[in-house]
Amino acid sequence: MVERGVDLGVDIGGLRLRYPTLMGSGCYGSGEEFAAFADLSKVGGIVLKSVTRLPRSGNPMPRLVNTSAGLLNAIGLQNPGIDWYLEHEVEKFAQRPCKIVGSVAGFSVADYAYVCERLAARLEIAAIELNISCPNVASEGETFACDPRLTAEVVRAARGVTKKTLIVKLSPNVTDIAAVAREAEAAGADALAVINTVRGMGIDVERWRPRLGNVAGGLSGPAIRPIAVLAVYEVARAVAIPIVGQGGIETLSDALEFFLAGASAVGIGTANFTDPRIPERIADGLAEYLAKRGLRSISEIVGKANLGFASAHEYEGDAG
Amino acid sequence: MQVAQSRARVHATEVIDRREPAGGVVVIGLRASALAAATRPGQYVMAVPAAGETPAVALGIYEAEEERVSLLFFIAGKRTRELAMLRPGDALSLLGPLGNGFDLRASDRDVGIVAGGVGIASVLLPALELLRQGARVRLFYGARTAALLVERERFERAGCETILTTDDGTAGSRGFVTEALANAQMPKLLLACGPTPMLRSTAEIALRHDVRAQLALEENFACGVGGCWGCVVPITGASAQAPPFPPTPNGVVYARICREGPVFRADELRW
Ligand SMILES: Cc1cc2nc3c(=O)[nH]c(=O)nc-3n(C[C@H](O)[C@H](O)[C@H](O)COP(=O)(O)OP(=O)(O)OC[C@H]3O[C@@H](n4cnc5c(N)ncnc54)[C@H](O)[C@@H]3O)c2cc1C
Ligand SMILES: Cc1cc2nc3c(=O)[nH]c(=O)nc-3n(C[C@H](O)[C@H](O)[C@H](O)COP(=O)(O)O)c2cc1C
Ligand code: FES
Repeated sequence: MVERGVDLGVDIGGLRLRYPTLMGSGCYGSGEEFAAFADLSKVGGIVLKSVTRLPRSGNPMPRLVNTSAGLLNAIGLQNPGIDWYLEHEVEKFAQRPCKIVGSVAGFSVADYAYVCERLAARLEIAAIELNISCPNVASEGETFACDPRLTAEVVRAARGVTKKTLIVKLSPNVTDIAAVAREAEAAGADALAVINTVRGMGIDVERWRPRLGNVAGGLSGPAIRPIAVLAVYEVARAVAIPIVGQGGIETLSDALEFFLAGASAVGIGTANFTDPRIPERIADGLAEYLAKRGLRSISEIVGKANLGFASAHEYEGDAG
Repeated sequence: MQVAQSRARVHATEVIDRREPAGGVVVIGLRASALAAATRPGQYVMAVPAAGETPAVALGIYEAEEERVSLLFFIAGKRTRELAMLRPGDALSLLGPLGNGFDLRASDRDVGIVAGGVGIASVLLPALELLRQGARVRLFYGARTAALLVERERFERAGCETILTTDDGTAGSRGFVTEALANAQMPKLLLACGPTPMLRSTAEIALRHDVRAQLALEENFACGVGGCWGCVVPITGASAQAPPFPPTPNGVVYARICREGPVFRADELRW
């Protein structure tokens, strides 16, 4: 979208977005839930809640815990399963004024390929995101995203069944996210979403028990932003495909950090729970920020954090 | 039970009055005529604290009349602490009205309302509506101590009979509000809002006496609009409130409290 002489449109591995924003999977329902108060014509797209081969009733309650500057969730992929989803849900997405990205989750490589093929076959779905932060039943529950080899297998299987844009969503719960990113790229990913939630736990000190029904959950919101910014920075140096940066973005300045670190678009999840007008504000702010500097497109700032300090000193990748 | 309609939007409101009916309890009045006009008894809003605390906080709509809406809240944590600092003239964004609210269409003439703690904030509007319809309304109201039985005079002035209980016996009878309900002559319809244990025993009493009951549930919300599936409760798949989802093999479905509720029929919950 051209605003103030600035083109906010981006191309994410073949997926054209009018605004460089994607609403995070699991945070935005099907878009319908937010349509009454958020202007969906001013977001780039919506990533749908992850869908699996069979219906899942999800985790026991409580599924949400508020933490300092963040939110712990353990929803457990509650979803109606791909059959029901295709029959009853998908047609509704045709009416959204932004791009709809399907999100696929699974517990085996075959699951991913099966759901991906069926979902990608639908016209309403513009692209597929692979949520690989799920345990693999074939390897004692290790998550796909934690093993570069398993990541590659899943991506290759999905690549084999669709030509639509394939976004692979990486987990921060790994020692070397760049290595996983390289494997995903080599296996045929068109783009990467960086990052999914960070594993965490809360404990009720009065009742001496975990605060989430599932014990472990995923942390999102501002608390994880620095983790996400570094992950984007490292992944951007490792791959050539575009990155959708996400994790705790609430303001224009937060979004800019991600673009400068190397993201071509940003994901916004938890911030929608604070105020559903945030994505629209970020889009407006971006146009103004770029216009003020005489820049005409987002691509002019992507990855430009390297112009500073880090270009002069070899970046070693350690925390110290 | 009816199902929620999406007439909600973000309302930019202004604080016009503020009082503290007890220590740690605040009522703020807001200029919000469109919200007041759209509100049904038992609905709530997501209040967006200025500091952008995430997520926004769910609060029942206490009063809604002409251009004024009010919120009654207990200072529980950081978001309500921040809302408590608002003063007349300050701005506050409210997303709402949300949720289905109580179904008062075919109301019986003898209604009991059971409220505990913050639950009191969600039951004034249904009480007023029932009184307007000519019903007898008894409020069974419990709190830890007398000072926390906030706003009881407001209900009495409107014409409710109040049956009070406190944990420490400083007002009304000592004990739980549901004990007072169990000992009373049964109303024809029960409405309840308060802590989960109170709602569970209200549901038991209602089922035992074959009285219809509508319970307004409270859970920690994130989105508050049905987008995240973080606030579910199991209900029978046969309920009109069952979300459009295949039921599990045992016939139960998870309904979102924020979207399909927050008010559910006691006989349809499978909790
Ligand atoms: C539909 C609905 C309507 C509501 N209406 C009202 C209303 O009208 N008025 C009202 O006052 N409230 C109402 N509530 C409740 C209110 O939304 C919550 O109390 C909310 O959590 C307050 O936010 P807070 O940030 O101030 O407190 P929070 O920080 O969320 O704390 C809330 C409670 O959780 C406890 N808590 C916090 N952290 C922990 C921890 N680490 N371990 C254990 N316990 C912890 C606190 O002691 C406190 O009791 C409603 C809730 C719902 C879902
Ligand atoms: C309640 C909730 C549910 C989520 N569900 C999913 C999901 O189903 N699939 C997925 O890939 N990511 C899911 N996520 C992760 C988000 O899409 C996002 O990547 C993450 O929360 C970080 O961004 P944020 O801080 O902006 O929320 C979920 C996050 C939250 C808070
Ligand atoms: S709080 Fe998100 S679905 Fe209810």
